[in-house]
Amino acid sequence: MKRTIPQIIVFACGFFMLTAFFIPVRFVQDMSQMLQNWYIGVAAFFVFIGIINLIKINLEKIQRKVRDWQYSYILLGFLFFMMFAGFVLRGHTEGPVFKYMFAYFYTPCSATMFSLLAFFVASASFRAFRAKTPEATLLLIAAVIVMIGRIPVGYGIWHGFPSLVEWIMTVPNTAANRGIIFGINLGLISMALRVLLGIERSYMGGGD
Amino acid sequence: MKILDKLAVLDRRIIYLFVGLAVIIPMLIPLGLPVDITRPVKNVYDKIESLPEGSIVLMSTDYDPGSEAELYPATEAVIEHCFRRNLRIYMMGLWPAGSALGERALDTLGRIHNKTYGIDYINVGYRPGGAVMLLSLGRNFRDVIRVDYTGRPIDSLELGHQVHSARDITMVMTLSAGDPGVIHWVQYFHARFGTPICAATTAIMAPRQYPYMNSGQLVGLLGGLKGAAEYETLVNRRGRGLTGMDSQSIVHVLLVLFIILGNVILIYQKRKKSAVGAA
Amino acid sequence: MFIQTIGIWVGALLTLAIFSFLYRDNPVYKVAENIFVGVSAGYWAVVLWFDYAWPNLFAPLFQGRIYYIIPILIGILMFAPLFPKISWLVRIPLTFTMGVAMAVAITQYIQGDIIPQLQGTFLPLRGVPFFTAFSNLLIILGVIFTLIYFYFSKEHKGALGVGAKIGVWFMMVSFGASFGYTIMARVSLLIGRVYYLLHDWLRVVR
Repeated sequence: MKRTIPQIIVFACGFFMLTAFFIPVRFVQDMSQMLQNWYIGVAAFFVFIGIINLIKINLEKIQRKVRDWQYSYILLGFLFFMMFAGFVLRGHTEGPVFKYMFAYFYTPCSATMFSLLAFFVASASFRAFRAKTPEATLLLIAAVIVMIGRIPVGYGIWHGFPSLVEWIMTVPNTAANRGIIFGINLGLISMALRVLLGIERSYMGGGD
Repeated sequence: MKILDKLAVLDRRIIYLFVGLAVIIPMLIPLGLPVDITRPVKNVYDKIESLPEGSIVLMSTDYDPGSEAELYPATEAVIEHCFRRNLRIYMMGLWPAGSALGERALDTLGRIHNKTYGIDYINVGYRPGGAVMLLSLGRNFRDVIRVDYTGRPIDSLELGHQVHSARDITMVMTLSAGDPGVIHWVQYFHARFGTPICAATTAIMAPRQYPYMNSGQLVGLLGGLKGAAEYETLVNRRGRGLTGMDSQSIVHVLLVLFIILGNVILIYQKRKKSAVGAA
Repeated sequence: MFIQTIGIWVGALLTLAIFSFLYRDNPVYKVAENIFVGVSAGYWAVVLWFDYAWPNLFAPLFQGRIYYIIPILIGILMFAPLFPKISWLVRIPLTFTMGVAMAVAITQYIQGDIIPQLQGTFLPLRGVPFFTAFSNLLIILGVIFTLIYFYFSKEHKGALGVGAKIGVWFMMVSFGASFGYTIMARVSLLIGRVYYLLHDWLRVVR
């Protein structure tokens, strides 16, 4: 029962949504729309459970005094303060404290975390990007052409550089990406069918 | 060659220092290098230019502060263009933080162009559900959107009241940093409802969009900060895109030199190894 | 204005705290990292509630549309793993969302991707300028050879091997272009941060 009911749900919902695509009857289309709307509602709960898990994990860290447990106080403190600012101080996302925290805490931290990658990619350029095979050489040549051709310096060196880059993007890049798109989509369709038919069940987790 | 042996074990923090200086110095001493305009960016510009006044553009800010540096300049440039053309903007976001970032641009530029919230532009905020939500949205906006970003009922706002389905939208402009994003707008919204899609994406995502432009599913593309700089040139706006191009140029040249130097060291080490082996 | 100045200083100090990781991992970086995670999780919760959950799920329910209880109940089952005895109930919302999403994905991948991309591959080789015809031919051949590379049911020998090899070359050019764009993206993010420090904080850049 613990696996049968979920399998029936996935098959029934999936089969209905698939056939609804081909049946232009108003009632069927309305039912299909309703299921999509319910999906969006349920999807919202994924984020809530993620946040509850985050709180749970950090409370456990504090309780068990694992490595770096003190930082969990900071994490939970800011999490609860942000929720307090949004829900209590002034309701809704227009609250000044909430907007302030977003602009001066969330935005700089998020942006800086990702900007660190520029340094790592520079280090990798020097240490790891080696033309050891003919294929790797071709990859690096294409990369260098794109890197120089896409910047104003490239345009300054030779006015035809941007056109060469555009040709690389619209011809060999398009061809290869299109082939990859076909491969990925066919693979995803076969995986989706396996899920709907109950052949693929790993997403349900272990146990009975 | 002792210098190549030393360079082979160079501390990575020295590389970081070079990169930092390559970004900072051109900002302090601008080079003013000219920016060329590419076809994908021109296509977006031409599309917006062709829209009749009063057309409704659905602008989807599908990014977060992690990609703000690349996509916020494009957001500002496109909003500026739309407001100059007297187009109306219906903003939403598939990512939670996107609509807050878009709100900042809308507010600032709305004031400059004397636009009225609720009539000339509206922000309905974040909508979860990704790709499946887009199908519901296109069929009936009210199934997904009942209030705007501030919690006001959508029908109490003139622009909100006028949009009921994909038929009421002239064009979608998605500013996309990943999933859900431009590919879902193309696969789901455009495929089902036929609405033209223009996109601004991070540079990482740009190569993947070319097949969609080639097949006509995507009208045009602003790829990365360079795409934003090109658009700023077209709309004659000095924004962060153009400001960043000098630094972008110098760092790219630096990284190409690093790649060349790294491969020179590789060749040198190979030759040294075979010379030692022969000896 | 003063409060805004404080905010800019906070943003700048958090930026420098995270950049300190480049030297080595340290407590200042860890503090900034945990602030980021806490603030972003709190932000997500508030935005999701006010932008979606309340107006689209709970408000209609309290206005008399009783059937909205169904998605709410299914969503509440997401919390089942917190209670070991009934943790299996989480499979209900999981299978519901998987069923809907997978079915929609099948139709949309075909309608929105495979068919248009297939149509886009049928490019003209006549009645167009020579260079355009040559480029179109390269695209057609590139797609075919790339697909040949991903055909693993037969060993890549003979004609199939040659086709797969050519497919690899096309992919190497594409990956090289992607690599170039990736570098561009990473550098742009750093430029954004440095601009914030020099323009918004130190005001040495116009």
